[in-house]
Amino acid sequence: MKPSKAKELAGQIWRALRQPLAAAVFGLLVGAVVILACGQNPVTVYIEMFNKSFFTPYYLFSTLTRATPIIICAMATGMAWRAGYINIGVEGQMVTGTFAATVAALYIPGPPIFVGLVSWIAGMAAGALYALLPAVLNWKFQVSMVITTLMLNYVANNIASYFVTYPLKDTSGDGLALQTAEIAEGLRLTRLSSTSTFNAGFLIAAAVVLLMIFITKKTVFGYESKMGGFNSSFARYGGTKQVKVMMITMALSGAIASLAGTAEVFGLKFRYADGMLSSTNYAWTGLMAALIADLDPAGMFFVSIFLSGLQIGGSAIQRSLGIPLEIATIIQCCITLFVSVKLVFRFTRGKARREEAKGGAQA
Amino acid sequence: MNSAYIASIVNSTLRSTTPILLAALGSAVCSRVGVFNIALEAQMLIACFFSIAVNYTTGSVLLSVAAGIFSGALVGLIVAVLQVKYRAADMVIGTSLNLLVQGGTTFLLYLFFGLRGVLNDPKLVSLNKINLPVIRDIPFLGRALENLTILDYLCYVIAVLLFVYLFKTVSGFRTLSVGINKSAAESLGTKATRIQMRMVVLSGALCGLGGTALSMGQVTMFTENMTSGRGFIAMAAASLGMSHPLLTVLSSLFFGLCQGIGVALQNVIKSQLTMTLPYIATIVALVIFSRRGGGARAKKRTGGL
Repeated sequence: MKPSKAKELAGQIWRALRQPLAAAVFGLLVGAVVILACGQNPVTVYIEMFNKSFFTPYYLFSTLTRATPIIICAMATGMAWRAGYINIGVEGQMVTGTFAATVAALYIPGPPIFVGLVSWIAGMAAGALYALLPAVLNWKFQVSMVITTLMLNYVANNIASYFVTYPLKDTSGDGLALQTAEIAEGLRLTRLSSTSTFNAGFLIAAAVVLLMIFITKKTVFGYESKMGGFNSSFARYGGTKQVKVMMITMALSGAIASLAGTAEVFGLKFRYADGMLSSTNYAWTGLMAALIADLDPAGMFFVSIFLSGLQIGGSAIQRSLGIPLEIATIIQCCITLFVSVKLVFRFTRGKARREEAKGGAQA
Repeated sequence: MNSAYIASIVNSTLRSTTPILLAALGSAVCSRVGVFNIALEAQMLIACFFSIAVNYTTGSVLLSVAAGIFSGALVGLIVAVLQVKYRAADMVIGTSLNLLVQGGTTFLLYLFFGLRGVLNDPKLVSLNKINLPVIRDIPFLGRALENLTILDYLCYVIAVLLFVYLFKTVSGFRTLSVGINKSAAESLGTKATRIQMRMVVLSGALCGLGGTALSMGQVTMFTENMTSGRGFIAMAAASLGMSHPLLTVLSSLFFGLCQGIGVALQNVIKSQLTMTLPYIATIVALVIFSRRGGGARAKKRTGGL
């Protein structure tokens, strides 16, 4: 019986991987057409791109460093979406939380361990509160969370931009850059590699993934929130307090989002610079990763690394071959579109089969 | 506050309203047939790009506007096929198209013109600025309507035409019936899916015109991601206007006013803070109007969220 079981498992893994793999191939094919349009050879470009994202230690570290905020953003997105709350305000929650954490790190006196702890907690609290705002408006006034979370992104970005441009701007140095002062040495995350910027932030991202798996698979809350997303009347019938679940889900989502940017500041940049979290599209890339992986935590982890590899490779070929790094965005969006289309075909095929079966039963 | 100052606010309000109103009408027709289209941003941005690209290459205003409308409609067609015909998840299609167009336009800008981020050239031809002969000399009104383009007037005409079509014609009633109850409409022989797809393409064309108004209105240039969330503001405006063309005019004017005040106040209050005004106003307005107009209806239209 054992061989058949192994076969079954292999079949399961194949079925799980089939779709993302097909989507990735399709995305890379579209990318190849675009590269051809640029007058370059897709094979050489892709070899260069993957060499300079996964297959050289230095670039692999860069990929993992960039993946850190993307992984965390994917988890923040997944946390809310799997419960049926379309939170597209991860960027705003990340900016608010990160900014709060940075300000706390800069202005609270005391020993590094204390200040560090307070900063991270302050960041998570700010992110959670910023995510609770749309949840409360949805609960009290039935305002669409899609719109409010999105609008709050622009509000957070502009207000943070105001603070780093005027009151909290670092005036040391040439004073031209729109950024805060650097946080103290004792607060910075440990570097994990002597040659690159790869740092302990990645471990935080990995811990968030494990936490996410634990919450979704092992806790009552994880079950209740998923049921709410799956079928809200059923969840209510089962005795779930939906408002409570919504509040906790959104608060968690916002708190996780804050970690993405805080890890970036404390591990990599050591200060908050204007637009550092929005111009890099971390939140949107995380959202893409979440969609491609169909909100599965482990899947989101690997897809995030793959997408950030595309981006690192994209900027490498922009430097060496002059192809704009937006090629990475194009490939990534085509992958997502293809994943969604695949889902659709599966759905329509399944429906056709069911109808066939029904017809057969009648006859 | 003297009258000249107020007139200048009215002027910048009218200019800011045009792209939002056109896109909001696009959002409204989608909502009316029960399609939740969040690719408005993509439909606008692609039009910003292609109108300026054609403008730069041909120097023809007419062709540029046509290119804007056509490219917007093309993105609308993608939404229609994937989301309406094949029923892919609206959020997935919308977000990936929005990002795809954002990256794609930047990429094409480099591919076609070798430029990064901005296409701004003295060669670009702008839409004719209209200064109406008699009104020009009336003190307040003259300033308020100074240098508007044809699109700044046309958008209101389109709103009225849409209202007449939807609420005063048989075909319009059929269209509305699809949004109210798709299966009932189908049972009466209405080709519901085809109507939905047609409306999504129309929404693309309207957003395309809106994008053109943005890139060839107040300024004539293309910059990376120049719509900066206007597609989403338009969605809010349509939802505030209960997807009724004439009410959407009012709600769009309100959002235009928020932007106009921001422009007018930028010397008094730092621009980063005034820039938040339209976004905060969107949320506040949605809260204020949520009870009226039935929260449940609005909720249904935005995908139950």
